[in-house]
Amino acid sequence: MTYQIYEQTVNHPDQINKLTMGMTITEKIMAHNSGRDQVKPGELVWVDVESVMTMDYLGKTCFEKFRSLGPSEVFDKDKVICVSDHLVPPPNQKFATMLNEWREVVRQHDITHFYDLGRQGIAHQIMVEQGHVLPGKISIGTDSHANTYGAVGAVGNAVGVTDAAVAMATGKAWFRVPEAVKFHITGVWQPWVMAKDLSLHIMGMMHWNGHLIYKTLEFTGPAIDSLDMAGRMTLCNMTVDLGAKNGIIKPDQTTKTYLEGVAKGEWEMIESDADAQYEEVYEIDINDLAPTVALPDKLDDTVTVDQLVGTKFNKAFVGTCTNGRLEDIEVIARILKDKQVHRDVNMILVPASQTVYLEALQAGHLETLIKAGVAIDTPSCAACAGIHTGVAGDGDIVLSAGNRNMKGRMGSKNAQIYLSSPAVVAASALKGVISDPRNL
Amino acid sequence: MSKIEGTCWVADDYVMAYDIIIQEYWTSAIDPEDNSLWVMAGVKDAFNKENGFKDNGYTFIVAAHNFAGGGKSIEHVVAGLIGAGIQAVFADSFARLQFRNAINYGLPFITSKGIAEHCKTGDTLSYEPDSGIITNMTNGTEFSSVPPAPFVAEVSAAGGLMNYVREKINKGEAIG
Ligand code: SF4
Repeated sequence: MTYQIYEQTVNHPDQINKLTMGMTITEKIMAHNSGRDQVKPGELVWVDVESVMTMDYLGKTCFEKFRSLGPSEVFDKDKVICVSDHLVPPPNQKFATMLNEWREVVRQHDITHFYDLGRQGIAHQIMVEQGHVLPGKISIGTDSHANTYGAVGAVGNAVGVTDAAVAMATGKAWFRVPEAVKFHITGVWQPWVMAKDLSLHIMGMMHWNGHLIYKTLEFTGPAIDSLDMAGRMTLCNMTVDLGAKNGIIKPDQTTKTYLEGVAKGEWEMIESDADAQYEEVYEIDINDLAPTVALPDKLDDTVTVDQLVGTKFNKAFVGTCTNGRLEDIEVIARILKDKQVHRDVNMILVPASQTVYLEALQAGHLETLIKAGVAIDTPSCAACAGIHTGVAGDGDIVLSAGNRNMKGRMGSKNAQIYLSSPAVVAASALKGVISDPRNL
Repeated sequence: MSKIEGTCWVADDYVMAYDIIIQEYWTSAIDPEDNSLWVMAGVKDAFNKENGFKDNGYTFIVAAHNFAGGGKSIEHVVAGLIGAGIQAVFADSFARLQFRNAINYGLPFITSKGIAEHCKTGDTLSYEPDSGIITNMTNGTEFSSVPPAPFVAEVSAAGGLMNYVREKINKGEAIG
């Protein structure tokens, strides 16, 4: 394990050259988008943003704040992306009214890309699948899981409405260049082991919001090279839950293929220099990575699934910006094909976007799942934030493929939430108790 | 900035953003006055009533690691603290998203290692922004703090990022 603190390295004359040469992918992206040749961790820079995302329950405030800055038109109507995801379809009158006000404000500003009910999806899924985030560029969003955008080699960052309003007006955002931590992942993905298991494994290893606060996390190595875009999104998505500034994976052929035909602009294939500086480098071999589960209430309280086999639960949930993609749906369909969800379990699938929904339909997965006794709901954040569609009630024990399990997250404070991969959710739904998909 | 003086509340470990502003208020408007009514409602029962936290009249919060963590980006958290009369927060470390919001709102989130071990709820503290010195006047201990970066100080002097950017736009000055 290497451990290098920037201040220490400046004392060595033979390393000074390295300092002016080697940059991480995140440093390079921040430099390129702030018109500089070089940036160093700790510096504050104003960068140009490729896109700014805001969504239903914060968007109106965001636009109001933007207007209060002076300009009446956003910096680029094609680059302010508006999405309805947390509140759709509205579960009550209050949210229905909020949505109406939101629609009105988006219309007033003549925003080109408005993904409203009917064309909706979870904002982070939309941003990537519709090509609004691009390799080598910086995108921000008013929701914490904007870290997802690192999957395509972009710097994706969660901000508050103030930052988004400023970016809407100016096309810019301020950043402190983060120190970097590298996770070098080797080995081969074993059957039924998913990127989510690696995320949860790292969560248990590094601790929730522990000393990775403010850092950029870079995922490299053969196991990342062989990972599909869905898995890369899962991995980058949960870096916010580690307290990190962003998670990022260098763009490659998988990225290019994914973006073909959807990218909404030019991009730049940027990767870290060989002599880039990292505060720490962790090596993880996934050959013996087991399906991993986070116990209720704390994300970093993780165990391998074998330790929980037989644990009772009554609600199964697959969806969210972490695990609501086609590849996730395919995995659960494979497990549940020609079988039945256990009678003691209610299972809900919420595809992450209308595109995902349609693709799952065309692939026949939805038919498989409906026949297996899975309820399918229209794309949204659903019960993930406890707002609607399948919220948890008193006494519920939920096994969720989402990203957060604190008390009350999905509804009742008297419910428990276990987090796992979609494979573990499906295998467990089949058996009626937490089960290891490798033993089916 | 002149010296600030007042009592402190010492936070327990794991004071998360979603405990500072509980779920039912996430979709409400961002407004210091409104958000302060129920600020800290999820932290403990004593605060889980209208003005439960605010009525204590604290000026400072002292915490250990990762104050306001848990990955929520909502600005209601910082707005609620400001509305409740909090003028600075001292901690070993802060969660990134709320640290950023605090800078944007001009509320000093000040890193001061180990301070929580030497303060008790109700102690009177003073904070001298220019020197960064924090004094616990109740027990006579003194702490240094990490000075904010020049940009952060500028934003704070302007009264937050909105004012800072608005002034730049009005004057036709470039940002960054
Ligand atoms: S799916 Fe859940 S975590 Fe993702 S944006 Fe929606 S509420 Fe947040």
